[in-house]
Amino acid sequence: MKIKRDAADDEIPTSSMADIAFLLIIYFMVTTTFTATRGLDFALPEDDDSPPVVEKEDSVLIEILPSGEYVVDQQPMQLSGIIDYLKPKLDANPKKPVIIRPDPQSQYKSMVTVLDELRQATEKGIKEEIRISIPTQREIESFWY
Amino acid sequence: MKLAASKKHEPAIPTASMADIAFLLIIFFMLTITFEVDKTQVKLPKTNIRIEIPKKAAYVAIDSTGRIKVSSGEDLSASVPSADEVHSFAVGVIAQNPQKDFVLKADGGVSYGDVDLVMDALKRAKVRTIYLLSEQVTVDDI
Repeated sequence: MKIKRDAADDEIPTSSMADIAFLLIIYFMVTTTFTATRGLDFALPEDDDSPPVVEKEDSVLIEILPSGEYVVDQQPMQLSGIIDYLKPKLDANPKKPVIIRPDPQSQYKSMVTVLDELRQATEKGIKEEIRISIPTQREIESFWY
Repeated sequence: MKLAASKKHEPAIPTASMADIAFLLIIFFMLTITFEVDKTQVKLPKTNIRIEIPKKAAYVAIDSTGRIKVSSGEDLSASVPSADEVHSFAVGVIAQNPQKDFVLKADGGVSYGDVDLVMDALKRAKVRTIYLLSEQVTVDDI
């Protein structure tokens, strides 16, 4: 009797490969979150017990009132006017520090808005990056005079 | 003359390259994936300058009610009762990696006093850089 033998199938079965791949895609698509992963960077000064004493007269003080209004060197000012006010002072002394002092009752976003404005100074005609300092309440109580 | 009967073609969609396309997409998603360590719902402040935050940065989140959550960047964020706890948390993180960056994810409407306490806690823990998480300013905001 003649036995009929099937030719051996020597192919790798790849038909389910796409199914597996799409399953993995769905997993990664579901778990990926395109959230905000950007922000303003702010380098903190070294916290030592004797920070460099900044003479009040040598710096520019930006106060933020609880209402969200800005007071620069005792003068009420609009956000857009701050850079124009700082420009002549910083042209004369580019190392002049700018201190942001928000009221504890003010909103956090007011501080971020001012910080963002000051960080854009080089795009608005100021030659060097502004030296920005945001002292915390503890530092103000310890070192402010 | 007798014409040969035309061969019947089986209609088929070519699927051989399907797997290649799928794997390409997988590679894209694998490279772009970042697992969110903090799921606190906040309304972020808006800024023009937005710098890419380094991966694996530690998170401190403050929601609109002033509740604080922390994450070392590896695990999901956990609530802490006060800003003092943020200090001890930050000291622990900095002890392991002095170069570690911190992200402050605070609601724009939260009072600055709450943020001030957290910033002070991070300063005392000798954190080098904090990133204030923000959203892009859009034309509608101007």
